Amino acid sequence: MLTWLPENISTFGNGVDHLFSLIYYITLAIFVLVNAVYVVFIIRYRRRRKSDKAFHYHGNNTLELAWTALPFALFAFLAFYSDGIWRDIKYSTHAPNPDYIVEVMGQTYMWHVRYPGSDGVLGHRDPALVAATNPFGIDPADPNGTDDYVAINQMHFPINKNVLVRLSSMDVIHSFFVPNLRIKQDAVPGQWVDVWFNGRKTGEYEIACAELCGSGHYLMRGVMTFQGQTDFDAWIDQQYLNAANAAAQKTAQALPASAPSPTTPSHP
Amino acid sequence: MDAALPHSHSGASEHAHRASFVRTYIFSTDHKMIAKQFMVTALVFLFIGGAFALFIRWQLAYPGTGIPLIGHLLPDTWVNPDGAIIPAFYTQLLTMHGTIMIFAVIIPLLVGMIGNFCIPLMIGADDMAFPTINMISFWMFPVAGAIMMAGFWVEGGTAAAGWTGYPPLSAIASTGQTLWIVGLFIVGFSSILGGLNYITTILNMRAPGMTFFRMPMTVWAVFITAIIIIIGTPVLAAALSMLFMDNFVHTSFFTPAHLVVPAKDMHLTAGGGQPLLWQHLFWFYSHPAVYIMILPGMGVVSDVLATFSRKPLFGYKAMIFAILAISFLGIIVWGHHMFQSGMNPMLGTTFMVATMVIAVPSAIKTFNWLGTMWRGQLDFTTPMLNATAFVSMFVIGGLSGIFMASTPVDVYIHDTYFIVGHIHYVLFGGSLFAIFAGLTYWWPKMTGKMMSETLGKWHFWVTFISFNGTFFPMHILGVGGMMRRIYDPTVYDFLKPFQPMNEFITINAMILGFAQFILVAALIHSIRKGKPAKRNPWRANSLEWEAPSPPPHGNFDHPLQVYRGPYEFSSPESVRDFLPQTTPPEDVKRHMAEHLERLKTAEAPQSDSTH
Ligand code: HEM
Ligand SMILES: [Cu+2]
Ligand SMILES: [Cu+2]
Repeated sequence: MLTWLPENISTFGNGVDHLFSLIYYITLAIFVLVNAVYVVFIIRYRRRRKSDKAFHYHGNNTLELAWTALPFALFAFLAFYSDGIWRDIKYSTHAPNPDYIVEVMGQTYMWHVRYPGSDGVLGHRDPALVAATNPFGIDPADPNGTDDYVAINQMHFPINKNVLVRLSSMDVIHSFFVPNLRIKQDAVPGQWVDVWFNGRKTGEYEIACAELCGSGHYLMRGVMTFQGQTDFDAWIDQQYLNAANAAAQKTAQALPASAPSPTTPSHP
Repeated sequence: MDAALPHSHSGASEHAHRASFVRTYIFSTDHKMIAKQFMVTALVFLFIGGAFALFIRWQLAYPGTGIPLIGHLLPDTWVNPDGAIIPAFYTQLLTMHGTIMIFAVIIPLLVGMIGNFCIPLMIGADDMAFPTINMISFWMFPVAGAIMMAGFWVEGGTAAAGWTGYPPLSAIASTGQTLWIVGLFIVGFSSILGGLNYITTILNMRAPGMTFFRMPMTVWAVFITAIIIIIGTPVLAAALSMLFMDNFVHTSFFTPAHLVVPAKDMHLTAGGGQPLLWQHLFWFYSHPAVYIMILPGMGVVSDVLATFSRKPLFGYKAMIFAILAISFLGIIVWGHHMFQSGMNPMLGTTFMVATMVIAVPSAIKTFNWLGTMWRGQLDFTTPMLNATAFVSMFVIGGLSGIFMASTPVDVYIHDTYFIVGHIHYVLFGGSLFAIFAGLTYWWPKMTGKMMSETLGKWHFWVTFISFNGTFFPMHILGVGGMMRRIYDPTVYDFLKPFQPMNEFITINAMILGFAQFILVAALIHSIRKGKPAKRNPWRANSLEWEAPSPPPHGNFDHPLQVYRGPYEFSSPESVRDFLPQTTPPEDVKRHMAEHLERLKTAEAPQSDSTH
């Protein structure tokens, strides 16, 4: 059954998969045990002679106590064990210091992604400015924001880096789901939620939406690409260049493309 | 179906009643007729909801392929020129499938049908405490159902935000969504009226000697269920009212500021609301509601297992305390539906612990059912087969719940087909098999006719096998990461390998759907040609078997006095292997003495002849 899991590439994914298989084997054992007893009873105690009476027995308190205490201990253990991993995944106090911070905004039916520009700083955003043409509500008055790089359905990250995604939505609830990273988080309008991960293997991985968001819900597919650091640096520089060129074309005013290597952004 | 014809003993005041067809079959106040009305209406909805499911399954197995035979007959707001379902209609179908199955099938069958039929008969009352309210409670249900279904024919189609109706999606004004809200509100109202009636009846109208701890599990379960309904449903009503206002006058209870909505309606920018508020309110009702949908089934199964094992229910009191524990814990676990919602993850920890704990009483119940069958004399009649299946399917549903209760695992499987698998193991494998068990168990009492065991068993086996073929693989799809509520899984590369499995599921689903016609055939065959049922065809102990089959208006033809609990099967004190609740102890003793006497005289000549 667990062989159907897509390949895990995230750091905390090991813990999740481990827990998954632990619960799988525990529940499988319970299932087999209970049903084996059940089938034996069904065969063995099937009525054979009309006149036979069953065993007149009302129950046994010791047994009741035993089969209350044992499941309780087991499930309490599972809750305790689960909680450690849960904290690592979702508690903001447990998240490692991010190497990269990006923003993701869900819109029916696409994922907008915002990288800080070459200055490494995400510009100020104003919720009142959010519109189909400006999904993040980037404030044009803030120079930090003018160079921010915005893409649709495409995310690139270097491997072995802690990435923090700030997640929200501009219309209905979506859910940011990357099966290979073992991460899922609803994107809720009016609210920003942090998601972190660290991918360890290069390649292209699919991003899906897991929360019904309308009839195009199934189309909300994105791709997350993990690259080596040098490839990533080259890629992001190219994006800055393209963005600058596009902006330049727009204003019909040639500007020198500035492309310093993107240093690790500090906390904005 | 002359079941509800008033009996002559019920007095002069009933004469007007007898005269009127309308009062007997349509606006009846007789709890048994109301139970039948719930049954027929809900079974009709079962087929409607089932048809929706088959459309959904067709699309998932063969995305974009025209529906065979009927595809071309459907309107172009539903299908494309090839006869294939369009995405907008697909989301409407999945929304209405869930809504109908939960609110118009499972709850009406378990609470409306079983509750109404069993409570007065099992506690020895002549009817419900408030027969007229009972009638109103029923009639709200088809009205609500019609309002919801009407959505299919309004502009823009019916509700399409899932049965959970999460805003802002559900708050973006559409007529169909508004009809959904109104329909649910009325269904909830009907539930509350029914619940009040059940509680009052059980508290006040028990026959002499029927103490609380002599009530059958079915009555206990429906009693606790009614209490949950009274606590939970008003919260749903409040949430629905807010959602209605958001849709209608743009109050923004659930919509934050600055939403960019493609729809024409820009009033939504009013803002200030909280999408998560809806989820808290909705699940505060809807988690307890899943227990509304399973507790009565557990009661039915306990009764059926005891009867056909010819054994007392193992740990009767433990079973009652387990139900009480489930209902209490059930009220504090709603957040397990919201682990990934953006709710504070610390609350995730709290709700995980509560959810893990609630699995304990479920385990207790399972072990007690096994204990009941241990050293029994099992008779595998149709009701018994269905009850037996319930236990085993419920175990699977409960165990899959553990995966989801574990927050880190839920990160991955939340909103995937794993959840769909879980839901169907508890609601179909659990609730619906319990309904089949209860329906076939009490059918002879309801109609006065026996049901064909052959048809009943065919229905059971085909359903059981195709049920597992349909829903077990869904867990695997979930492990593979397939999201629920998607129109076309082949959009994703990582889901393409699962297409053969989707096809397999659909084929099983077709068999499962069409197998339900066997049940209908069995019911019709029984009404037309069934053998007349005796008062107590299953040789059971509880009070309903004291009444004629079918019971007349007013139920019992003799006064009742209860002496013992309902599960005295195979008692050594009694000659037969059952001991009705009403047999006086002195009669039991006398019968035993006579029996021993007869045995002696039978033995005496035998020993003589050996000389
Ligand atoms: C051992 C007992 C159970 C446990 C531990 C359990 C746990 C859970 C959890 C954690 C979820 C949320 C999963 C998610 O969305 O990620 C869930 C969903 C659900 N459960 Fe259970 N459950 C149990 C029994 C039941 C029963 C008895 C029923 C109904 C008769 C039921 C019906 C449902 C339904 C309908 C949903 C899905 C709601 C939706 O999102 O559409 N569960 N369960
Ligand atoms: Cu979506
Ligand atoms: Cu729940």
